[in-house]
Amino acid sequence: MAIANVRGPATYHSSFWRTLWTNAVMAPRTSLGFMRLDFVLGTVFVVPLTQMAFFVFVVKLSGGGASEIAFTAIGNAIATVTYPSVFSVCQTTDSEKQQGTMEHLLVSPTNRLALYLGRGLIPILISLATAAMGLVYAATLFGVVIPLGAIPALAVSVTLTAFAMVAFGLLLGGVALYLRTSIILGNIFLFVGLLLAGVNVPLSDLPTPLQWAGYALPLTWGLAGVRAAIAGESLVSLEWIWGAVALAAIISFGLAMSLWEYFERRAITTGSIARF
Amino acid sequence: MATATVTYSRSRSTYASLRLAVLQFLADPQWLVPSMIAPVIFALVSFELFRGSGPYYLTYAILGAGMMSMWGQTLYGSGWATGQDRVFGTLEPTIQAPTPYLYVVIGRVLWNVVSGLIGGLIVYVVIVVSAGSPPALPDPLGFALLFVFTMLTLASVGVVFAAFYVYTRYAGFIQNIGEFAFYIGTGCMFPVILLPFVVTPFALVLPPTWALDALRYLSIPGYQGFGWGVYWDLLGALGTTAVYLAIAGVVFRRVERHVLEEGNLSDY
Repeated sequence: MAIANVRGPATYHSSFWRTLWTNAVMAPRTSLGFMRLDFVLGTVFVVPLTQMAFFVFVVKLSGGGASEIAFTAIGNAIATVTYPSVFSVCQTTDSEKQQGTMEHLLVSPTNRLALYLGRGLIPILISLATAAMGLVYAATLFGVVIPLGAIPALAVSVTLTAFAMVAFGLLLGGVALYLRTSIILGNIFLFVGLLLAGVNVPLSDLPTPLQWAGYALPLTWGLAGVRAAIAGESLVSLEWIWGAVALAAIISFGLAMSLWEYFERRAITTGSIARF
Repeated sequence: MATATVTYSRSRSTYASLRLAVLQFLADPQWLVPSMIAPVIFALVSFELFRGSGPYYLTYAILGAGMMSMWGQTLYGSGWATGQDRVFGTLEPTIQAPTPYLYVVIGRVLWNVVSGLIGGLIVYVVIVVSAGSPPALPDPLGFALLFVFTMLTLASVGVVFAAFYVYTRYAGFIQNIGEFAFYIGTGCMFPVILLPFVVTPFALVLPPTWALDALRYLSIPGYQGFGWGVYWDLLGALGTTAVYLAIAGVVFRRVERHVLEEGNLSDY
């Protein structure tokens, strides 16, 4: 009887780009929350309009003038990216647990960086569309003046904000691996930004502890970049803010990866936190 | 062979349903978000925006955020009042029971009303602590009574939503995407007359719009809401609430018949 030539264990190299692409395409259909077409269209076209209108009317009732209305309109136009970036992305963990695929994911040799980065790609695109639509509403319905010359800087600010917010969503998804559900966490950060990130009220008007809490949110820096771009601030000051937004994105994503690694190890060791 | 007589009590079914809703709320605290956490944040944001705009704007902030708390429970909780039966696979068994399904749903909606009230109370405490003093209320007793009435008008909307959600796959869409539209449409934080006139007919379809306008007339001196005044507001609220309850009754009867004949409402 011929004896099979037994070699050492096969080494599996997962392709970074294939993992990234597969997750970018598959995650909206499987693990990301609120990715049905009606939700996506509603998020891009309806949510910015209604959220902006709500707060703008509150400002009008309180006697706010054009500048206060513009402040609130811009703030909420950008804050609505929280829906596709943070709220949707952080639910990937819940979905994996609910569908019973978490265990398989944890034991797969897939490159984690490509995996999580890939999951964030479509939310980044939807965030860009949401913010763009919000800014269109701000300019056409709420009297916000956006100079044409400010658009390139505005585009950079919005793009960086989308990246930073999705990274923050992945970070919450990492925390959610340990929690029973990410819904509460996602919801809290969906609303907390409205108060702490300078969306409706300037950060300087808040008590100092709340200001510090606000500075810890990527939305605060992203929004500062957007406001600075619309105000036509110099490239030097914009670069500082962009740097801060990029740093917020890198820190969030780095923390997300570290958390995933830690909790993955814990999940494999204890076998108890990968279930819903 | 003698036939067994089935005796059942509708009130006992409603109580059991209410009790179970409380237990489920405690076991799965995600409902804390729409009923308590989000309204407190909205209250603080509006408080900051209204700051320095006069003593009665405190009432606007409290009323608005309190209403949003109850709306949150109505939109999310009442949708779940029937949705849970489909997810858990208990729709058919519940409907086969001798108690009309409506009485089971009423128990769940009642808990939504109570938890919305608790949310409103939390909002009140947070705003009073932030402002350092309670809001100026000309008629506290009337305010409290009308507030409870406003909640009941919201409950009627909740029962209709619960019935309607059985027939749609878009409950989640209505809840999540339509949330701010409902807040605007009922004038939670500001009078509906501030909105473009074209919105008014849609706003008047919702019973809480009428009730909330009446509540503001009672609690904010000099308030300018709908031109017809507080008594027509109350009449409008009563009328629309009655229509909503009638619609809910009809739809639920239809749901029951549909389930017994087709048995396919669990497929969603």
